[in-house]
Amino acid sequence: MFPGLITASALLLLAAVLFSQLTFHPSATTLSVGSRIISILGWTTLQATLSTVLSVVLGTLLAWSLSHYGSFPGRSWYIALLSSALVLPTLVIVLGIVTVLGRSGWLNDVLSYIGVAKHDTFIFGLPGILIAHCYFNASYAARIMFDRFEAIPTEQAKLARSLGLNAWQRFKMIEWPAIAGTISKAATTIFMLCFTSFSIVLVLGGSPKYNTLEVSIYEAIKLDFDFGRALGLAFTQLLVCGALVLFANRAKHRDRLISATRATHTDQGLLRAWQLFSIIVFGILFLLPIAAVITDGLKANWVQIFTDKNFQQALVTSVLIAAISTVLVYASSTLLSISYATLTAEQRYGHGKLSRWLRQLISFSSTLYLAVPALVLGLGFFILAQRIGGSYTTWAVVALLTSNVLMVLPFAVGMLAPAMTKSANRYDKLSRSMGLRGWSRWRFLESHLLKSELIYIACLAFCMSLGDLGIIALFGNQDFITLPWLLYQKMGSYRTDEAAGIALVILMITLLVFLLPMLLRRQEPTHAAP
Amino acid sequence: MSGKYQSVKSTIKTAAKALTIGGLTLACTSVATAADKTLTIYTYDSFAADWGPAPGIEKAFEETCECDVQFIAADSSIGALRRVQLEGASTKADIVLGLDTNIAEAARATGLFGTHNADTAALTLPTGEWSDDVFLPFDYSYFAFVYNKEKVPAPPTSFEALNALPDDFKIVIQDPRSSTPGLGLLLWIQEAYGDEANDVWKALQPKIVTVTKGWSDAYGLFLKDEADMVLSYTTSPAYHEIAEEDTRFASAAFDEGHYLQIEVAAIVESSKNKALAEEFMQFMLSDTVQDIIPTTNWVYPATTTKQGLPEGFKTLHLPEKTLLKDGVEVEKQRSEWIDQWVETLGQ
Repeated sequence: MFPGLITASALLLLAAVLFSQLTFHPSATTLSVGSRIISILGWTTLQATLSTVLSVVLGTLLAWSLSHYGSFPGRSWYIALLSSALVLPTLVIVLGIVTVLGRSGWLNDVLSYIGVAKHDTFIFGLPGILIAHCYFNASYAARIMFDRFEAIPTEQAKLARSLGLNAWQRFKMIEWPAIAGTISKAATTIFMLCFTSFSIVLVLGGSPKYNTLEVSIYEAIKLDFDFGRALGLAFTQLLVCGALVLFANRAKHRDRLISATRATHTDQGLLRAWQLFSIIVFGILFLLPIAAVITDGLKANWVQIFTDKNFQQALVTSVLIAAISTVLVYASSTLLSISYATLTAEQRYGHGKLSRWLRQLISFSSTLYLAVPALVLGLGFFILAQRIGGSYTTWAVVALLTSNVLMVLPFAVGMLAPAMTKSANRYDKLSRSMGLRGWSRWRFLESHLLKSELIYIACLAFCMSLGDLGIIALFGNQDFITLPWLLYQKMGSYRTDEAAGIALVILMITLLVFLLPMLLRRQEPTHAAP
Repeated sequence: MSGKYQSVKSTIKTAAKALTIGGLTLACTSVATAADKTLTIYTYDSFAADWGPAPGIEKAFEETCECDVQFIAADSSIGALRRVQLEGASTKADIVLGLDTNIAEAARATGLFGTHNADTAALTLPTGEWSDDVFLPFDYSYFAFVYNKEKVPAPPTSFEALNALPDDFKIVIQDPRSSTPGLGLLLWIQEAYGDEANDVWKALQPKIVTVTKGWSDAYGLFLKDEADMVLSYTTSPAYHEIAEEDTRFASAAFDEGHYLQIEVAAIVESSKNKALAEEFMQFMLSDTVQDIIPTTNWVYPATTTKQGLPEGFKTLHLPEKTLLKDGVEVEKQRSEWIDQWVETLGQ
């Protein structure tokens, strides 16, 4: 329990240290929030709320369809692809969406081919922001919800059938209780992702009225060098998100068993047709931007890209950084999740106020970084580096690894902690009677039971770390180049073809990593839970 | 619960091992240099990139100086300035290169920069003589809207003509709060229209398809044909013509004149290599460097070299009227203008 609590405290301490660095700097005069704070806050909340509602509704619908339709060719691939949504490089996909839905996009090509009037530009402004947010977050929601739907025990489905419940009754009485807790958690996460959205709003925002808080922080630091305002805005963002995390944590989590066998409850008729329709439409919409990135990327000069020593160096560095980040994410999320489970499970330390309070601490510390602006984080590190001294390359590595871990942690803990709790509730008695403890328990029990979660977290950590520009820009250095940084440089100097090529490389590695477990798992039988 | 510690311990061990291996590998990739003196120059990313001007300049200067030149890339020129500001007097930077005159006053106000002591006689800027003894110009270009000649056969010839076009004629611009071209356009319209600048923006608003964070996002959207024109430079078509042998692109000549962006460099006051830095500043105005700049940074050199401009530059539109606001005035009113701009476009 204690290693996890120490980790949680360390995370909070780190946030405090990094934030305080900005106040030490002479550029921080007075704490302020600027004159447009009300409209910025209002707009940020509005778009985040709309994005969240749409994403959750669409995601749940898709997860429900996927779960009920049952098997179809490529189902597991479909699900693996959905998982990758969270880690697909944002800017790359946004440009892919433009290729599909833009003024000269594929949609207009199709429309003019079949003789219908072309659509006007609609992807800049609120519609574009919502579309992009839904692309990433509805898929993310669907992936999470799908697991919940699949975890509903077969017995309950059978019971529902024998009682002759219709789809709606079934949803209301059996499925809703099983997914409600997860929905509120997923919605919180998605809201925060949209609330702090940066690249999407910057590219598709259309006009300055669609500025989010995060963009205003960027502006305060970058152009005005006003740390006081940056901090004021960052605190506002933290306050809103922090309140939300606490609020969401208060929501009661339903405790459901992990299903040993897949519940096969397929529907018939119109319902089934509707499910298939949702699956196909969503699949096509999901694949189109990816296809666009691939078509754009294939035009690049590949010999030139691969023989470029900067590219080779960036590739090696990025893969290494991503691999190390993955290990660090594994360690920290396991520690936090074990503590969380211990503080939740009734047979361990699940009672009492203190437990609840400590549990909140863990949730809060691991989710907090969704709300910390990357620029503030980076600046904190930079000023710290300066006060302590040492080579920038070393600091860049430390800062990059830290920011990667912090970025993935909310998702990793969000997935692992409830799973660990369930495993504790279900198997604590059994393991005690069998004398399974510590490492051997982990090896024989959790590593099998939570296999899909663990694989998912590894993929997530690796890909998020690989595709994120992070805070490297602050520590710029000739000898330390990552793939996203190289992409950024190429985009900034007319080299759009090469940039498209590098974007495709990042996308392909991301997809490969997410589909690899699928490829491997095909060759071994599914492990039934012990 | 002691059992859990074991699993935790082993996880930590694995992590530590991986971290050590990773750290060592990274340490090995960073190149150690043996030259006596190192001249450290902070600049923006595309200047320092492999295909930018930096590698050529570095090689040429190292041949004569018996020193090691290190270019350090920030994400933008403002980013390079901010980094020196963050580091204060303990900065390793000897020179900051790539600021423009619009942001130079903000840089001067930090008190971090000293005099360049360079002979500026060779400069042939459109603004005439140069008197600033802190910031030394090394190249320039004009802001302009770039378009595709095949798709826009009759480009607008002024902001008024642009505003008179139907609203389905779309332009993409950058945000003045995060991008120097974005700020350039704001000052361009301000200089050309003064008190009526806001009306120009109001009329322009329906044609702005989107306002992007940086130049690259905007230019990327333009190349994807999301807009008919993009805010860029009069020299942008030269890249397409020389590097891609694509002659479809041109910049629209505006009657109001074109706003000038002069890129400058400055020596950091706390530099321990002042003599070397001064030598480099003078070197920036040599024919060697000035001939490298056009086809690597895709802008005009600050002097007239013996070799002259490359072929693709001679066909570019050269503005008859040059607009440039005084840096001090810009610094004084920038935030007021930006607030006004946000309000106008936010409606």
